[in-house]
Amino acid sequence: MNAILLSLLGAVIILDKYALGEFGISQPIVTGTIIGAIFGDVWFGIFLGAMIQLVFLGGLPIGRDIPPDGQAAGIIGVSCYFLLRGSNSMGHSLFVAAVLALAGGIVGGALEIYARRFNEKLYHRFMHHEEALYMCHTAGLLTAFVRGLCLFIPLFVLSELLIVPDVFPQITKETLTIICISMGFANSFYLFVKKTTAIFLIIGGLCGLALVVF
Amino acid sequence: MRLSTGRLLRIFFQSLFIQTSWSFPSMQSMGFLSDLVVGAGDAKRAEIVKTQKGLFNTHPYMVSYIVGAAVRAYDDGSASPVEIKRFLTVAQTSFASAGDLLFWRTLRPALLLLAVILGVHFGVVGPITFLVIYNIFHLFHRIKGIHDGYKLGWDVIYLLKTRRFKMVRQVFETVGALLSGLLVSLVAIDVHYLLVIPLTALFMIMLVRRYSAVLIIISVLLLILIIGMV
Repeated sequence: MNAILLSLLGAVIILDKYALGEFGISQPIVTGTIIGAIFGDVWFGIFLGAMIQLVFLGGLPIGRDIPPDGQAAGIIGVSCYFLLRGSNSMGHSLFVAAVLALAGGIVGGALEIYARRFNEKLYHRFMHHEEALYMCHTAGLLTAFVRGLCLFIPLFVLSELLIVPDVFPQITKETLTIICISMGFANSFYLFVKKTTAIFLIIGGLCGLALVVF
Repeated sequence: MRLSTGRLLRIFFQSLFIQTSWSFPSMQSMGFLSDLVVGAGDAKRAEIVKTQKGLFNTHPYMVSYIVGAAVRAYDDGSASPVEIKRFLTVAQTSFASAGDLLFWRTLRPALLLLAVILGVHFGVVGPITFLVIYNIFHLFHRIKGIHDGYKLGWDVIYLLKTRRFKMVRQVFETVGALLSGLLVSLVAIDVHYLLVIPLTALFMIMLVRRYSAVLIIISVLLLILIIGMV
């Protein structure tokens, strides 16, 4: 039941990715907070959302390029973790949630291409029936919503039912942090660091170190 | 004719759906036409659809500037559909490039970095800060864009040279660099965290060599799988 309700919520939130508004609500750090609040653990929701956010920080949807779906990865990662946590240890839940989030991000990107190919049919319909402009255009909302449902329902149902055997691999919060922060550093250096801004990177780094030490 | 508040709000509301029916052959065409019809009025619908359909793609927040200017052209009635189409062709690429650089490449990642750092240290303050600051800029361009597009007409394109675009981008590039350094604050004093250095170098090499985003995510996935098994 939780899985279905979460899938519906996820499919509504994912509309924000491109189909409706693009207010930033679908960003992993925000969805982590929302889903964490639903499960009564905002802090861990924010932590997981933040880690997934760092991995997908550099995914830029420019022109026809459709990168892996970071927004879907955020919803999948945080939701699967809380669904798995009900009947599994933290290490196993984190491992499975992280794997599902990254794989889900890649599959989500592929599904987005299919959704947009389906929109082609709507466009062709509009070309033949010009009076149906609003109907064909608005039907795109349904395409985006169904894409979300197709992505979330199987993964969330699996996570709700899955009991991970003890011999299965697991990951600690620290290890996940190390991997995600490394990716976050790489993404942010790539995006922001150049000759004119290098000094600010150093200042920021020194301030960050001071925060860690003191 | 003037742009009343009601008409501005209708164009703004419709612009929120600009990418709803995004498809490969037409991109935002249906979204743009819907917005333009709402702005120019239903009486001009047949003319607009007939003369302006076809590929259209720009940055979703920047479409307001273009729609504003196009609605003005339809209101004045002085420009031919061919001239309007010519303006749209030039404007969509110029605003797409400016919007991608300003929002996707600078403002959004910088604010997300801020949200991550604040979120990990102070909880909900992070995501709330992101949503508030990001949407101030986002909604400013969506709403002011319609107004300025209508006021300036085809000269709206010269706005791309103003501080609204250039200075904000420069400021957020600096903020982004500062926050990239501040990410260090998420690291703990522990020998394991030394692993961050080679991993960052590895991911940097992949990004600089322009490996595909899918390949980079697969490498992160493999890393988690390997570490999990070890």
